[in-house]
Amino acid sequence: MKTHLRSILPLVALWLIGGAALADDMLMARIPMRAEIALEYVKSSIEEHGYSVAHIQLCDSGMSDFGYKSDFYRVVFFGKISEVRMITERYPELVSYVPLKIAVIAEKDETLLAVLNPEALLPFFAAEEVQIQLGRWHSDLVSILDELRRATGQGLAARN
Amino acid sequence: MWVAGGAAHAAPDGRELYIEHCSACHQMQGHGGIGLPLPNAKLRDVTDDYLFKTVRLGRPGRVMPAFQRMSDAQVHAIVKFLRERSKTTEPTYSDAPIVGNAEQGKVLYAEHCVKCHGEDGSGEGQGTGVTGSRERSFLVMPASISNSGFLQSISDPMIHHVIEVGRKSSDMPAFGAGKLAAQEINDLVAYVRSFEQRQVEAAALAPDERPTHIYESPYDFDTTVANVKAALTGANFRIFPDRLVEEGLIDEFSVNTRQIGVRFCNFNVLYGMLKTEPRLGVVLPCRITIMERKDGTVLLAVPNLRVVSRWFNNDELVEMWDRMEQTFVSIIEEVTL
Repeated sequence: MKTHLRSILPLVALWLIGGAALADDMLMARIPMRAEIALEYVKSSIEEHGYSVAHIQLCDSGMSDFGYKSDFYRVVFFGKISEVRMITERYPELVSYVPLKIAVIAEKDETLLAVLNPEALLPFFAAEEVQIQLGRWHSDLVSILDELRRATGQGLAARN
Repeated sequence: MWVAGGAAHAAPDGRELYIEHCSACHQMQGHGGIGLPLPNAKLRDVTDDYLFKTVRLGRPGRVMPAFQRMSDAQVHAIVKFLRERSKTTEPTYSDAPIVGNAEQGKVLYAEHCVKCHGEDGSGEGQGTGVTGSRERSFLVMPASISNSGFLQSISDPMIHHVIEVGRKSSDMPAFGAGKLAAQEINDLVAYVRSFEQRQVEAAALAPDERPTHIYESPYDFDTTVANVKAALTGANFRIFPDRLVEEGLIDEFSVNTRQIGVRFCNFNVLYGMLKTEPRLGVVLPCRITIMERKDGTVLLAVPNLRVVSRWFNNDELVEMWDRMEQTFVSIIEEVTL
């Protein structure tokens, strides 16, 4: 059974990558609610997907402190300790990209969520382990953004 | 297999595809944001073929990505959704070939068009068209009519029509009705089309470029961290409190204290960059990670901005980060000398 699983693993990875057929280097979603509230949804969805929120960078506050006017702009850092340790131990070239990050950007009463598509890194790493990891992150990020769109879908429908 | 087969044959839902791929930039009702507005008046002027090719080819270097991996059916579904939402019908343009004199067109362009579209056709002023990136001396942002995605999407008769009747959606005046003769408009079409021969491709990456620069420090961990901070201060960066790579992901007693991210910023530069590329936060590149390995070696890792900037499809950001990249490399080389 184990052997069988091993043999289909690359196929599963390919399927995951294939599922990103529409993927771009940037994954984005628009949420029809104020950014302060959207941020709470983001944190909740990240945790529901098994990740820990490491910290939230207050970019807007930092800029305001130095006299630059900025609307709500936060970056949520999140990850799984096992994955971060795997990266730092075996693939230091990926360390600049962990923990993962979602930018939460206010656009008036709506919120723009943007995240780098981990699959943008695929061409640089031949190792199957990395390919699978990047595919899994991509799949989770797409799911998080989809969930946030669904969670706020009522709002979208009401506005249409 | 059966499920996959069933899904493959389901008609794509244009509204869902628009929500997923377009609404983040263009907003659900097409009011625009990072992306340009898509008002009904504009949709009335453009053909389905133009919309299809625009989605497919994007606008290279101008943020709008090329959705080349979507199926034709999916792109058609988005176009259909745009038509239904805007309650517009596709205009038809003559198939008759347009023959004009580009040299004559150049003179007319300088007289009537250059003020808004710029000498190189890239649009008014500096910037990519992203929200906030331009000097807004105009109420609207004139399109980049020299962009390869635009030129491959638009037909000559459609360019002729737009010049002739103008664009209500962007306050572009009409140049027909007595202002310019039909042949003069043909000459302008020929000149606009000649931008195709003057396309400047963004500098390609070298084949051996990696997404991260990795350096080995000749010093121990603590000295390396101190050297990095000194070099950053010397380069006029403000340094934030240290942040461990594993911090927040595991309890404070188990966290690896020999892997640290030194974060730094120059707020003036950051503010300018955010105007050019609001999505900058997805990378936040101003971080040098310092790691002590099990064998005692100390590595420094810094993102390769030449690689990262290409993911934004934003030529102006590429220029900015190519310059910043040199600063980063200088700092690391100073630290590891």
